[in-house]
Amino acid sequence: MSRKFLETESPAWVADGLITAEQQQRLLARYPPDAVQAVGLLPLLGSILLLLSALSIVAANWQSLPTQVRLGLLLSTLAAAYAGGEYFLRRGNRRVGHGLIGLGLVVFGVSIILTSQLYQLVGYDVSGLLAWVVVGVLLSYLYESQALVLLPIIIGAAVQTYCTQALGTFSYATMGLVALGSGYRWWRRPDTIVASVLATGLLWQAALWVALSHSKITWFFIPAMLVYAAGDWHPERPASRALQGPPLVAAYLFALGLALFGETDQYAGLLRPPVLAYLGALAAVFALSVAGKRQRGRLASLPDWLLLLPGFYLPGGLPLAIATLVVLYAHAGSVLARAHRSGEAEQLTLGTVLFVVATMVAYFKLTWAFLDKSLFFLIGGVLLLTMSWYLRRRNAQRLAAGVATVATGPTPPSTSDKSPTA
Amino acid sequence: MPTRSTPSHRMLVRLLVAAQLLYVLGVAGAGYATTAYGQHIILATSPVDLHGLQYESFVRLRYTIAEAPLTAWRGPTSPQRRQSVYVLLSTGADSLAAVVGVYEAAPRPTAGQAVLRGWVTDVFPRTLGLRYNLERYYVPGDSPLRLGKTSPAVRVRVSIAPWGQARIERVELFKPTAVR
Repeated sequence: MSRKFLETESPAWVADGLITAEQQQRLLARYPPDAVQAVGLLPLLGSILLLLSALSIVAANWQSLPTQVRLGLLLSTLAAAYAGGEYFLRRGNRRVGHGLIGLGLVVFGVSIILTSQLYQLVGYDVSGLLAWVVVGVLLSYLYESQALVLLPIIIGAAVQTYCTQALGTFSYATMGLVALGSGYRWWRRPDTIVASVLATGLLWQAALWVALSHSKITWFFIPAMLVYAAGDWHPERPASRALQGPPLVAAYLFALGLALFGETDQYAGLLRPPVLAYLGALAAVFALSVAGKRQRGRLASLPDWLLLLPGFYLPGGLPLAIATLVVLYAHAGSVLARAHRSGEAEQLTLGTVLFVVATMVAYFKLTWAFLDKSLFFLIGGVLLLTMSWYLRRRNAQRLAAGVATVATGPTPPSTSDKSPTA
Repeated sequence: MPTRSTPSHRMLVRLLVAAQLLYVLGVAGAGYATTAYGQHIILATSPVDLHGLQYESFVRLRYTIAEAPLTAWRGPTSPQRRQSVYVLLSTGADSLAAVVGVYEAAPRPTAGQAVLRGWVTDVFPRTLGLRYNLERYYVPGDSPLRLGKTSPAVRVRVSIAPWGQARIERVELFKPTAVR
């Protein structure tokens, strides 16, 4: 509820006798108007413009400046950014303070790159840029700022990209720093946005590792599901779900791809790693995940693992496509069942969408060859409409039943509570 | 995790900033040290296209050693694209460096030889395409390349540090009469 809403609405409440004038004053006092920012917008814009002008002068003359001047400029910018950040933090302006600290971190990376370029120096490993990740992770522990936790994760992904693409090696140190350093920072102070970005960053690095080592792409799911299993062990539910989101999306897209293109043995052949090694690794991660789920009482989410069933070992062709479809249906069904049990509207929507997608894939796979095109689309449309109507009805009934059992107070549940999925 | 500005927190921040400043200085120091303690070789290039210099601050150098015959490959397995390699170069007293062999693991150079690290860019039926990360040359303001002669051939002086880093020391216009 915003202050403005309170200001405009509360006189009517007093008039209607809902609250007294004194209570109104106390409510208004409880939500004070936002403090005017110490740095207003105009000075900020002005300083950005000044900064840009200085930056463009330096950039235009960069190559003709003497080496020492260039080095001095980099070092003084670095020091100034950190000093400014500390200054604003001491004055209590956290946003500007943390922004400047983040700028200092970025300037550090830029300084490493520009100094190497200054001396036309070639490094053959990532150690130069690794320092950037190290400093980023350390800074994220020193300050209480979401942005400063996100920065080293993004920097780690960028450094790893450079390392694999330009240097042709995978930097395990970078991966470890982000996974353990930023991971532990998140573990201590869970946050959903950090969780999503962290999982995405780690998945990105895992994908680079697979691409570089020319491994079968299914190996990607070992590190990805390790991230998922880590989520299982985290005590906080929303943060752990946020961490598990990206690995699950990846696994789902993979299963979908298998259902769509798995028929050709050529594609399935690209996916088959050595059976024992892959299944052994996957089973180890699975055991870790199950142990976590049991520890935290979340065994209901176990069907997530359906997506990881290694169906690609089946011979290619129709059996593989159909087996994958069965898995997709089972997964969508499990999400729906779980949502019905918990009565979570978002989960219900998600389950419905997954169910519709599985049906569409099944329909495209199985009937395209047999039906006339117009009939194909007609039947498909009718099928989807019927199904969405049926699922929505069921959801509404379920939610209504859930609300009715919960609501024992004098106020009956309003109809608007029941249909967030509609 | 400290949120307030306690003395120990401030101390840590100062240490961290000082470490960053020292690190950048260290990178610069590595640049000087590579020239001071490194082995110097001279590389030939094909004519350099200077047109890009109007818009950018660097030119692209195409080294003659960027292509090696496949027979120079010394490795247990056949070379793969993007693989990192060690290129053994022979350096005469004043002559240009030429590829002796391309290795997967670091070879031991004898007198008159140097090892430059690089990456395989292409594997052709008879030749190997190589990259040294020295291809992009940021032309200083006082370089003769700035005088705008079209497509000169150049000689590139490269120093290779004992610890493996390499840098372009300088780029000279190749004129038999007016070297340096």
